[in-house]
Amino acid sequence: MALKDVFLQHPERRYIMFGGGGGVGKTTFSAATAYWLARQGKKVLVFSVDPQASLTDIFKRDLFGKGPVKIMDNLWAQEIDADRHIRTYQQEIRQKILDMYGLPKVPEEIENYIQAASSEPAMEESAIFDAVVDVVMQGDYDYYIYDLVPLGHALYYLSMANVYDEWINKITKLREEMREYEEMVSRLRREKETEQDQILNELLYIKNRINTSAGILTDKTKTAFFFVLIPEAGVINDTQKAARLFAQFDVPIAGYVVNRVIPRDLLNQNIPEYLRRRVAMQDQHMAELHAAIGDQVLAMVPEMDRDVTGLPMIEKLADIMFA
Amino acid sequence: MSDDEKKSWLQAVRETIYGMAAHDMSRAALRTRASMEHLFILITMGDLLGIPILPPYYSLRLLPYVVPQISTWKRRMLREKDVADAMF
Repeated sequence: MALKDVFLQHPERRYIMFGGGGGVGKTTFSAATAYWLARQGKKVLVFSVDPQASLTDIFKRDLFGKGPVKIMDNLWAQEIDADRHIRTYQQEIRQKILDMYGLPKVPEEIENYIQAASSEPAMEESAIFDAVVDVVMQGDYDYYIYDLVPLGHALYYLSMANVYDEWINKITKLREEMREYEEMVSRLRREKETEQDQILNELLYIKNRINTSAGILTDKTKTAFFFVLIPEAGVINDTQKAARLFAQFDVPIAGYVVNRVIPRDLLNQNIPEYLRRRVAMQDQHMAELHAAIGDQVLAMVPEMDRDVTGLPMIEKLADIMFA
Repeated sequence: MSDDEKKSWLQAVRETIYGMAAHDMSRAALRTRASMEHLFILITMGDLLGIPILPPYYSLRLLPYVVPQISTWKRRMLREKDVADAMF
């Protein structure tokens, strides 16, 4: 099957994700796929959740933290500024505390906690995945193309979602038990209704958010996840390992796209020994890859002769990917 | 007896009966409720004691609601008695 056929046969798969190790070309392929879909008349948003992402470089437009920016007809691009997202969120929490208790200033102990929580490593990932829920829920695009964070982060988040779901169920149960006691006291004292438990509502909200964001990653009907790899031993090993883990978390893997394949017609020319060896190395890895997952390799993309930046180069790449 | 007097007398009877029958029960229930509150804060705001349990991004959402409890909660955690003692 070719990459194009996956899209033509499954128009219901609206969440498209490219995952892979660092620097294999996830962002470039996301941009090219978005371009191709937009040219087919689909309304597309390509967005990056990776702080190191470079949609800005690829489209030669400043996108960082600016919301969806229109690139051409039907095509929008967005780079999420996780830091700013976290700062705004912290400010909302502070304001809520001040409003709820009529305080002039957040108590020191509480302020320390806000600071400490925000410097934890999990903060950024959670914030990013949470922001994605808003992006996907608010827009009215035909396709959402995720330029995914490196594999480790995505796996971390998925496993986190599993653990937290269970955990929040337990906390919610405790909260409900607490509520029963409260109601009992109210009855004994012949008071009217107990107050609504706002914490319980927040817990249900959190559960819903985590489930929605993990749900997008694992929705078999609406999501297609593509692995990007290059024909090198280390990358192939890592990708296969990641693929097994992703499968365990029910991520619907739609196929693999191989990048940076040295054009084979170079062999007809007088090329240096160095390049011949590189080609032989790639041939060997490609043969192994085909033996392992042959039918799932959807496209082979050659090493380009220059950077893929600007629409003309993106178009060139898209034509190769979706030939 | 005026209406007011009748009312306050009735009120006194009501409170006496409540005191005899239900006051202890409701006090016990409130105690249990308070212990659970502390347990709840421990498992959601555990980071304050260095035990991260809920993703910090989301535990911040709960923070505003537990601000008043945080000082009493820390005191309670530092007491020798275990929270579980109070619960069970």
